[in-house]
Amino acid sequence: MRPLARWKGVASLVAVGLLVAACGGPTATTQPSASPGSSPQATPEATDVSADLTFQFWIGGEADQAAWETVTAVAEADHPGLNITVQGTPWPDYWSKIGNQLSNTGAPCIVGMQSLRLAAYGDQLVPLEELMAKYEVNAADFDTSILDSMKHGGKQVALPYDFGPLILYYNRDLFKAANVAEPKPGWTLADFTAAATALTTGSQVGFSTASIDQEYLSWVLDLSGAEVLDGDGKLAVTAPAFVDGYKKYVELMRSGIASDVTVAGYDGYVIMLGEWQAGTAAMYVDGPWMAISNKAVPFDMGMVPMPVGPGGSKHYTAGSGFGISKQCPTPEAAFAAIVSMTGEEALTGLASVGRAYPARPAVADAWYTAADIEGAKETLDFAIENSVPWLTPPNWVEMADLFDRTGLQALTGELTPEQVLDIVQEQGAAGG
Amino acid sequence: MSIAIDTTAPAPGVSPAAPRGSRLRDDRRHALLFLGPSLIGLAVFTLFPTVMALVMSLFDWPVFGERTFRGLDNYARLLGNPVFRQVVLNTCLFVALYIPLNLVVSLGLAVWVSPRIKGRPFFRILFFIPVMTPVVANAVVWRFMYQPGGLLDSLSQSVLGSPAPSFLASSATAMLAIVVMSVWQGFGYNFLVFSTAIDQVPQEQLEAAAIDGANGRQRFWYVTLPMITPSIFFATTLTLITSFQVFAQPFLLTKGGPGNNTATLVLFVYNEGWRFLHMGLAAAAGWVLFVIIMGITAVQFLGQKRWVHYD
Repeated sequence: MRPLARWKGVASLVAVGLLVAACGGPTATTQPSASPGSSPQATPEATDVSADLTFQFWIGGEADQAAWETVTAVAEADHPGLNITVQGTPWPDYWSKIGNQLSNTGAPCIVGMQSLRLAAYGDQLVPLEELMAKYEVNAADFDTSILDSMKHGGKQVALPYDFGPLILYYNRDLFKAANVAEPKPGWTLADFTAAATALTTGSQVGFSTASIDQEYLSWVLDLSGAEVLDGDGKLAVTAPAFVDGYKKYVELMRSGIASDVTVAGYDGYVIMLGEWQAGTAAMYVDGPWMAISNKAVPFDMGMVPMPVGPGGSKHYTAGSGFGISKQCPTPEAAFAAIVSMTGEEALTGLASVGRAYPARPAVADAWYTAADIEGAKETLDFAIENSVPWLTPPNWVEMADLFDRTGLQALTGELTPEQVLDIVQEQGAAGG
Repeated sequence: MSIAIDTTAPAPGVSPAAPRGSRLRDDRRHALLFLGPSLIGLAVFTLFPTVMALVMSLFDWPVFGERTFRGLDNYARLLGNPVFRQVVLNTCLFVALYIPLNLVVSLGLAVWVSPRIKGRPFFRILFFIPVMTPVVANAVVWRFMYQPGGLLDSLSQSVLGSPAPSFLASSATAMLAIVVMSVWQGFGYNFLVFSTAIDQVPQEQLEAAAIDGANGRQRFWYVTLPMITPSIFFATTLTLITSFQVFAQPFLLTKGGPGNNTATLVLFVYNEGWRFLHMGLAAAAGWVLFVIIMGITAVQFLGQKRWVHYD
């Protein structure tokens, strides 16, 4: 009996331990763990900042991982006490994962953040103004529109490393073969339509689009100047200008110049990109962050701003940066790392491999030299001058998902554009 | 030492009470010990999360921020939400299409393979392969087959001369496309269950029926089918439960389909909870699903007295 009793005792201890662990598990903390600027000894050029930091970012493969480790190496060189581990997640899964981590324990100290999705996670990031003042980070060194896009509730919660306007990529070889003049900044909608029509022959199409926010919103902005939010920051996709722009976009895409859209969201983006890179579609819309992967195509490629619409040639800018999660036990060390990672040296490094169009205008030339794409400088300068920060409501992840899926039905002709916008407005304004 | 030995003589015809009692106590202790791990697992990984989900469903439980008690408000919001109603309808549509098709295909194939034909084990393995292969891999391959430029489109163009419709992008065909893929994926399991059940129908009964002049169809309908009703009940109940929980196929093939036309309940729970970070609403939707499945299963069990013949 005694051995058995002992085993029972062990078993019940294990059971209690498991139950306690299970009970202790899912309670998420929402209090910040440490306030910034709490260590009085740190000085602005502190090389004595020392911590083990994790840095979470969207990484698509070994090349990406290597590129980001080069960036964190700059921070480690500036502050020898820092040890930064780069953790990567593929893009489609990144936001669920980071949301999960930020709400439980185990959030990384340095969080990769995108301007469009900042609103959902902004509350979990440490405000940086005090640290910026302490470390003498000059806001004027960054492009204003992207720095502003990284504010949440009026507070700066991330520092940008790249940004870019959404512009048009085109296939130079196909243009030559069809005897169509190459587009230049300032080209009109009529030029675009004529070119796309001339380029649609056989199994080739002039344009490829996808039912994903960066595509249709860029066109609505360009065609009617309308944005997703109204002056009060509320969702307003049924405003007359927005409806007009969206209708024109759908009509344009269904007029025969574009390939059929078959799936919404990111999967659709992949198909659209594949069509352009395979040479089946002559043009598509994307950001300068794709310039380097797009350069690897077997044909000669070019970039041009969006065609001039009724209100001018307007572009959305989006970008990415780094924030510090409130769970980080060493926010100052994390900030020191971020300052290095968005500093001139790191951004020049990224720009010189053409990986990121830098958020510091001073370093932009390195990108142009590295990218070596004819017309890129004129295009991007023009587009940035005519750019509009891309503002979205706080429930944009949900709204974009709905808009992507319902928008597909407009592009396939199952619903009218007005019906799609009514659905999005009704469910979007109702809140999450 | 705690074995109590009763030294009084037991009454005739009655076995000694004390040793039997202590043996029973030992047995109970052994039983608890062996059941312990399973019970702990059940408590920690099933009961606790279920209760936790019920608690969460009564709150507004965003992943970040304040949690406020809302009582049954989440449920009211769900019932008033047209998207949720459509999602429930979509799930019911999927079940209504999938179950009959699955049962007919699996039972039909089980009957077809039931005589001791040559290569029978080979067929059984062949039909079971889709069940064994991961549903994610299957869904991705079927997506390539369905999409324009894929297998079905190429076949249609070469044989019929015109392109196939875009199955996954069209509201009319998206759900059917998902059902067909699901039937292909899932019929093998029920096929195996039915095949085994048919094998166990006593040969004498079938021979007796043949002697009485019953033909093949009548033998099947009046002898085989009633005898395999327990297996049909088992297969139907399980398949109903799992088909209400369909997630991987719509997630991978259409992400909820054109608009919301192929969005199912579990996909709704996933989106609300993990993408839009509304845990309370997601938990409430999960409990609605739980109640629906419990209700249908209860109806099944109550109805079995009518049509299931246990021998």
